[in-house]
Amino acid sequence: MIAAIRAELVKIFRRRVLVITGITTVVFAVGSAALVLASAEPAGGRFSDRGATVESLSGAGGGTEVFTTAVSFAGTFLFVLFVGVVAIEFSRGTFRTMLIHQPRRIRLLAGKTTALLGLAAVVLAVTEALTWIAARAFAPTKDIATGRWLSADALGQAVADYGSVLFWVSGYALLGTMLAVLVRSVPVALAIGIAWAGPLEHILQDAWGPASRYFPGLLLEAFVAGGTSAVSATRAFLTVTVYVTLAAAIAATVFSRRDVTA
Amino acid sequence: MAAAYGDCMNTKQTTPALVTHDLTKRYGGRAAVDNLSVEVPAGVVAGFIGPNGAGKTTTMAMLLGLVRPTAGSATVLGSSLDDPGAYLGRVGALIETPAFWPGLTGTENLRVVATLSGHDTRRIPEVLDVVGLAGRGGDRFGAYSLGMKQRLGIAAALLGDPELLVLDEPTNGLDPVGINEIRQFILELADGERTVLVSSHILSELEHVSDWLIVINDGSLLYQGPADGFLGRVPTTIALAPEHPGDLDRLSALIRADGHDPRRDNGALTVPVDEDDAKALAAALNKAAVAHGIVLAELHTRRPSLESQYLAAIGGER
Repeated sequence: MIAAIRAELVKIFRRRVLVITGITTVVFAVGSAALVLASAEPAGGRFSDRGATVESLSGAGGGTEVFTTAVSFAGTFLFVLFVGVVAIEFSRGTFRTMLIHQPRRIRLLAGKTTALLGLAAVVLAVTEALTWIAARAFAPTKDIATGRWLSADALGQAVADYGSVLFWVSGYALLGTMLAVLVRSVPVALAIGIAWAGPLEHILQDAWGPASRYFPGLLLEAFVAGGTSAVSATRAFLTVTVYVTLAAAIAATVFSRRDVTA
Repeated sequence: MAAAYGDCMNTKQTTPALVTHDLTKRYGGRAAVDNLSVEVPAGVVAGFIGPNGAGKTTTMAMLLGLVRPTAGSATVLGSSLDDPGAYLGRVGALIETPAFWPGLTGTENLRVVATLSGHDTRRIPEVLDVVGLAGRGGDRFGAYSLGMKQRLGIAAALLGDPELLVLDEPTNGLDPVGINEIRQFILELADGERTVLVSSHILSELEHVSDWLIVINDGSLLYQGPADGFLGRVPTTIALAPEHPGDLDRLSALIRADGHDPRRDNGALTVPVDEDDAKALAAALNKAAVAHGIVLAELHTRRPSLESQYLAAIGGER
């Protein structure tokens, strides 16, 4: 598996990839911090239940709440990104090339996923730091106090927020990987992924109340939001863990047994 | 129609590089490979011949662990097909079209596969040089021509200095110069130690490089054995044509008088001969014709080609 991780890192650690990732991260961090702060309202405001409030942002976890709030809007994007990254290896035939050089299929898939999650972990850490810096710079424009953002409580909250977001990303990554392994076609996988993680779950949620407790995308949203009125963060975490474990098992089983003909 | 395996006595080593027993792959009701039992001795260049859709790529994909056989078994370099990890480190392969990451350079692509397989990345410049891409390793794969992509695929196959090289249609997309280079390259690789299994549906490509042949059609074996054995199934012939068509009967009688059995073929005569006797007999027939006042407008030896043999084999099978 180490060889598979290292091989994936050869693809990742290229100047072009690093520059694009770096620019995207900076733009996302600065832009999303500005948006989250601009949309923050005092508690009790008309739309205050839809995002961070001035009061919550003034707390110890305010600096990293900007991060979790911003990232939570990128769920569908992350999902389809992982779907695309894995499915394209099938449609390009590069899984065939890789399997000739690394026939231990589960190790290959696990190594690839681990490397991508490792990249995601680094990007998230950088994003959290940049978001915090940008938010601190923009905070005075909304009269948000940032004095508690440098406290020990804030550090603990930052670690907890980072862990939550990393779990949330890992959930999307593994569900996306499973979908890509099952479908093997970039356009079909993306169509299914976007339709499901985007509108479908939310439409079904309106029609069927318990959907919030069972649909993986909604559970991931609930988890990263720290729980909702329909499902607690703990229940969301446990249910998603079951889904992700099943997704990993299905992906590994299918990938290890299926003919690679493309 | 398959030749007995006893024919492999003149091969260079005794341990086979590849053995398949009733290897079968079915897709639904259709057998892509049907009870294929072959044996490739180590150290030979084995031509794997068949038309498009004959089952060559599927067979190779099974040997490389990409496709699961429906039935049958096989060993590659002495290890069972059930555990490709046990032998693929000693196998280099190019199967179907070369598939790499278009955004990566040739060198970066080779670094990915070398890292994946645990091969020494310091061999990358060497293998790029071997396939004639020494100056283009820094170019993006997406910008390569089809021929360059094919070469990079071969370079990837060579990274581990493999004991067995499996090349599926390696000249696809190459121009005549490139095809000739690949042919020479295969001959250079065939050092008596390395086994090369190379498939093609363009039979002339393999005619001069293969010392072992596996011929299949519709997933079934038509022939396996030394290339000479396959080529020797249709005799060499001498073709003669008199300048004046009216001399054809006299010429035919002359040849019969010499103990041969000429056949008419569009105003000419063909005489089956042993390959070794062809030159001397052609000279003798020429002298005899001149002595009897017959001017020959055509006199040449027709050696059997792989293509003619293959077509004859297909015809016999059908």
